[in-house]
Amino acid sequence: MNATVTVRARRVADAVWPPALFGAAFVAVWEGAVKVFDLKPYFLPPPSAIWREFVGNLSLIRDAAFVSGGNAFVGLLVGALFGIAVSFALMRFRLLNDMVTPLAIALNAVPIIVLVAVFNNMFSSTSEIPRRLMVTLVVYFVVLVNVAKGLRQVSPIHLELLRSYAAKPVEVIRKARIPNAVPYLFTALKIAAPLAVITAFVAEYFGGPQNGLGSRIVSNIAASRNAVAWAYVVGACLLGLTFYLISILLESITRRRFGGDDSRGSGPGGGTT
Amino acid sequence: MSVADVVTSDARGATPAVTVDAVSKVFNAGTANQVDALVDVALDVDAGEFVSLIGPSGCGKSTLLRLIANLIEPSAGTIHVNGKTAARARLDQEYGMAFQQAGLFDWRTVTKNVELPLELKGWDKQRRAARSREMLELVKLDDFANHRPWQLSGGMQQRVAIARALAAHPPLLLMDEPFGALDEMTREHMQAELARICNETGTSVVFVTHSIPEAVYLSDRVVVMSPRPGRITDVIDVDLGRDRDDDTREEDGFYKKITEVREALRRGGHETTSGEPLGVDDR
Ligand SMILES: Nc1ncnc2c1ncn2[C@@H]1O[C@H](COP(=O)(O)OP(=O)(O)OP(=O)(O)O)[C@@H](O)[C@H]1O
Ligand SMILES: [Mg+2]
Repeated sequence: MNATVTVRARRVADAVWPPALFGAAFVAVWEGAVKVFDLKPYFLPPPSAIWREFVGNLSLIRDAAFVSGGNAFVGLLVGALFGIAVSFALMRFRLLNDMVTPLAIALNAVPIIVLVAVFNNMFSSTSEIPRRLMVTLVVYFVVLVNVAKGLRQVSPIHLELLRSYAAKPVEVIRKARIPNAVPYLFTALKIAAPLAVITAFVAEYFGGPQNGLGSRIVSNIAASRNAVAWAYVVGACLLGLTFYLISILLESITRRRFGGDDSRGSGPGGGTT
Repeated sequence: MSVADVVTSDARGATPAVTVDAVSKVFNAGTANQVDALVDVALDVDAGEFVSLIGPSGCGKSTLLRLIANLIEPSAGTIHVNGKTAARARLDQEYGMAFQQAGLFDWRTVTKNVELPLELKGWDKQRRAARSREMLELVKLDDFANHRPWQLSGGMQQRVAIARALAAHPPLLLMDEPFGALDEMTREHMQAELARICNETGTSVVFVTHSIPEAVYLSDRVVVMSPRPGRITDVIDVDLGRDRDDDTREEDGFYKKITEVREALRRGGHETTSGEPLGVDDR
């Protein structure tokens, strides 16, 4: 037991130090370049200045991160719930499925983020709803396409077996379709989680209340406080990373429960295209 | 053994396990790619009997098995299982089924896989657990009850599939090349296990295979089929006694039967298409 923990710790350490070293080297070169070439702060502030601003504005950055992160989270939750609900409807009604699925797949390739301008126009300028709506929409399509696929693509052998057990349609859904779709759902969430944060940031560039990380970056650049803007960028990176790590954690838990079969766990990932 | 047991086993003896009467199956009828998968097939399987279906690829073995299982409907003719119509028999879970792929549910443990047919029969938890333990002992996998299917080897998975097929103690077992994906050693071991289990439980079996020795080793009767259109061309009785073990494979009678089945397959093959490979192993 203890041995496996040490082995795992060693593996994590082995995986972490190369990118950590590279990151440190990158920051050092950046710092050096700013000094050597005497780059002006409005062009590129040195990492040390960004770090000072990050520490100095920590509570402001945290508040802004909570606003953007909250939008992303609400959108992720609502979008996933809607996506799951509609994929069940698609499973139930074949015709609907044939109409909606190609559209949903096509929409995944369209930059629907631009719709946020339209949504902003529909609600008051202090409302967070347009951003959340945007995140919801983006997440919705990713979850819909993947979960619908998981519900539909049940192994024919499983279906024949269940028929041979005289299983009722509800039982086929409960015993085969839903468990089959669970890994697809978590793959969808792994794709959707970072997408949700990105959408939440970018949506802030289209106006609305000035309280999230995205709008803070814009306003600080407008006020020529470049180092502060970069400090908010650092905050945005950390938030995105948090969402990504959570989704990876969720996926590894389900993979352990639902099968070590990599081909299925990651298979539906390509399903958005 | 109680009186009731004696009565049921007597009753079993009276009704054949399977009656296939003048059955035909046409796929895509009336279209350009119409296939006469089976034409006028008749087959009786007695209770407790082990019958193998053998024949070249595409001769309708799987189709016949799926018809008996009521997974598909015949185009003509009638099928009875244990005295009931095929549809009724399926609803009453009168048979268990196993395919070439184990078809286990990855998200269930080995025990839970075996319990699935029992869940659908509405058995309570305790009874299911007890039966599943019993079945896993039968296939000698009780140590792996809480493993996930993907942690088992192919042969072990196939044994779980057989335990699952037998879990509800169905009087009939339908198997479609269940050992097709196994290596020779595992395969012979599994054949011996299956022969033992069927003897112990008195289960009737319809068994599809491509292997002549496998068919001869396991069966009371070998049914030889031939394609285009799919039909039965020969039925060969294998009178090697019920208790078969590894020594059976060495007996002269065993080799004689293998030759007999091979010649029957040749005849069947020549009647339709000459010179085409038979698609049947001599293994
Ligand atoms: N669902 C289907 N639709 C159309 N044709 C089918 C269908 N199922 C089987 N067939 C055709 O019926 C014929 C018999 O098929 P079947 O699967 O029963 O053969 P088989 O004897 O099991 O062959 P193999 O040994 O390769 O498994 C084949 O020509 C096949 O193409
Ligand atoms: Mg077949």
